[in-house]
Amino acid sequence: SFVKPDAGWKKPRRIQPTPYRLETEEKISSAACGYGFTLLASNTTDITKVWGTGLNKDSQLGFQRSRRDQTKGYDYVLEPSPIPLPLEKPQQTRVLQVSCGRAHSLVLTDSEGVFTMGNNSYGQCGRKVIEDEIYSESYLIHQLKEFDSRVVQVACGQDHSLFRTKKGSVYACGWGADGQTGLGHYNITSVPTKLHGDIAGVNIIQVSSYGDCCLAVSDEGDVFGWGNSEYLQLASVTETTQVNVPRHLPFKIGKIKEAACGGTGNAVLTEEGNIFVWGYGILGKGPNLTETAVPEMIPPSLFGWSDFNSDIFVAHIRCGLGQFAALTNRGELFVWGKNLRGCLGTGRMEDQYFPWRVTVPGEVVDVACGVDHMVSLVKSF
Amino acid sequence: LVPTRVPVLADHPLVQGPRFRRLKIGAGHRLDVKASGVFVLGIGHGNKLLTDLYNCHLTKVYTVGGLFGKATDDFSDTGKLIEKTTFDHITREKLERILAVIQGTNHKALLMYSNIDMKTQEAYELAVKGLIRPMDKSPPIITAIRCLQFALPEFQLEIHCLHETQQYLRKVVHEIGLELKSSAVCTHVRRTRDGVFTLDDALPRTQWDLRSIQDAIRNCQLKVETEIEKTLGHRDNSPVHQLDVQTAESAE
Repeated sequence: SFVKPDAGWKKPRRIQPTPYRLETEEKISSAACGYGFTLLASNTTDITKVWGTGLNKDSQLGFQRSRRDQTKGYDYVLEPSPIPLPLEKPQQTRVLQVSCGRAHSLVLTDSEGVFTMGNNSYGQCGRKVIEDEIYSESYLIHQLKEFDSRVVQVACGQDHSLFRTKKGSVYACGWGADGQTGLGHYNITSVPTKLHGDIAGVNIIQVSSYGDCCLAVSDEGDVFGWGNSEYLQLASVTETTQVNVPRHLPFKIGKIKEAACGGTGNAVLTEEGNIFVWGYGILGKGPNLTETAVPEMIPPSLFGWSDFNSDIFVAHIRCGLGQFAALTNRGELFVWGKNLRGCLGTGRMEDQYFPWRVTVPGEVVDVACGVDHMVSLVKSF
Repeated sequence: LVPTRVPVLADHPLVQGPRFRRLKIGAGHRLDVKASGVFVLGIGHGNKLLTDLYNCHLTKVYTVGGLFGKATDDFSDTGKLIEKTTFDHITREKLERILAVIQGTNHKALLMYSNIDMKTQEAYELAVKGLIRPMDKSPPIITAIRCLQFALPEFQLEIHCLHETQQYLRKVVHEIGLELKSSAVCTHVRRTRDGVFTLDDALPRTQWDLRSIQDAIRNCQLKVETEIEKTLGHRDNSPVHQLDVQTAESAE
């Protein structure tokens, strides 16, 4: 941990500008960054499967019992601490994925549905909104099981949650004032409800969201979007600034494999391994391109592609609030975007206007981006 | 009246003497004793082109052969043996991973030493084209590295680099051996390209006579001029351009 360093000679730091290794007890299989907190999960069958660190003012990391006073809990967690989950079969269930939003978190298990904890003032935890509920030091962890089939992916937006099931349908709950729940209205939803619109009947293979805009990718390579469009994210289909029904985005850039939604900008990864970006902010094509409604491709030579190395392509794309991270098939991590408090990991404090390689001592397997920090899962050589 | 030419004694080569009494020859990038390959020389007025070529900072391509299992004091197979290790655990995949890491760190060094402000649109455009290069003195940088052959215990690498020495390449081979938890020595270093000069332009020992040298200079002239124009032309226009025209005329 940083505030209390593990070795005597290390001084506490406010900013960590380069990747720092975090020692954990188990092998971490999934990580997620929220707005000021991080969740790490491993798919072990031991009792502790999820660790959390960071802000806990809305119990987004569950109830962390304080050591000084057994009745109170911690509001700030300074090192990865285990999060107790109310599982029926703790020695058999495995945690598949975790996801974090502004003040809530979702934990996806393989047989016991989804566990939600944290702030519920907009119903983002999938339970009824209780007036004047105090969220800090709360024991309440809600379990969601009523979906049409098993949930295979969860994604958290700022104050809403998206669930993708095995059948290819998408459920949403939470804040809807920007239409990010995609249910046809601008009110809050406290029970996960199925989305229709252009998605009805389509087999969705991936959903993504981080701010107030959402993107979904179907198995045929089409991308659908809904939510906030103030930054031209959905300007290709509509002039309005909020879209509350999923709309198909007619981009002619090829079959799309993966999509990532950031705060003001979006990115998609095509089958060939190219990245297309659109929206507003630092998009990765130099300081001159600040906003575009039509996706623009980032030249593959910036990721190390050349006539000499022509088999390098991008394998995954992830978004934080103002940053983008891309993983190539060689295990290299490229980042670009706003460098808030050194979150890009380049070692410099300036914003990065085009993809820049981050030196990581190993092969990067997965990366999670937050508002002002990033977590990457690395396999050593 | 028809003009005719009659053979005169004064034109005979044995009377006139050798064509060239003294030649000013300058060398391009250094190539040490144990290495082989393309070695660029400038003759007479061509020496001025040599400095321009040096300032272009073009990449050089080497074929480096290595051997796993031994470690010597000067990193080559003729040095004093220091240790012997096993190497059966090494696979081509592991080697390629190490090469990817080397490439990545050198890519970063490339961008850092080129001293361009990262925030400008110009920097972005140069980065896209891959033209960001350190234009001043810098430590050795490897722009690309790839494995050509892999047959335990031998392997062959192709290395594209800038501002390097052959001893540095041998050290790289040694470090690759260390990274793979074994040890390696360098068996041979061969430069296959030096800027615009490739193996095809180079003259082997059998062709070191006047006629082939003159033909070779004539063939390479155009290439050298275009390269210098491209790299240095947009930086400082008039003096270099005029110098080029003069050298081209006098080299003829």
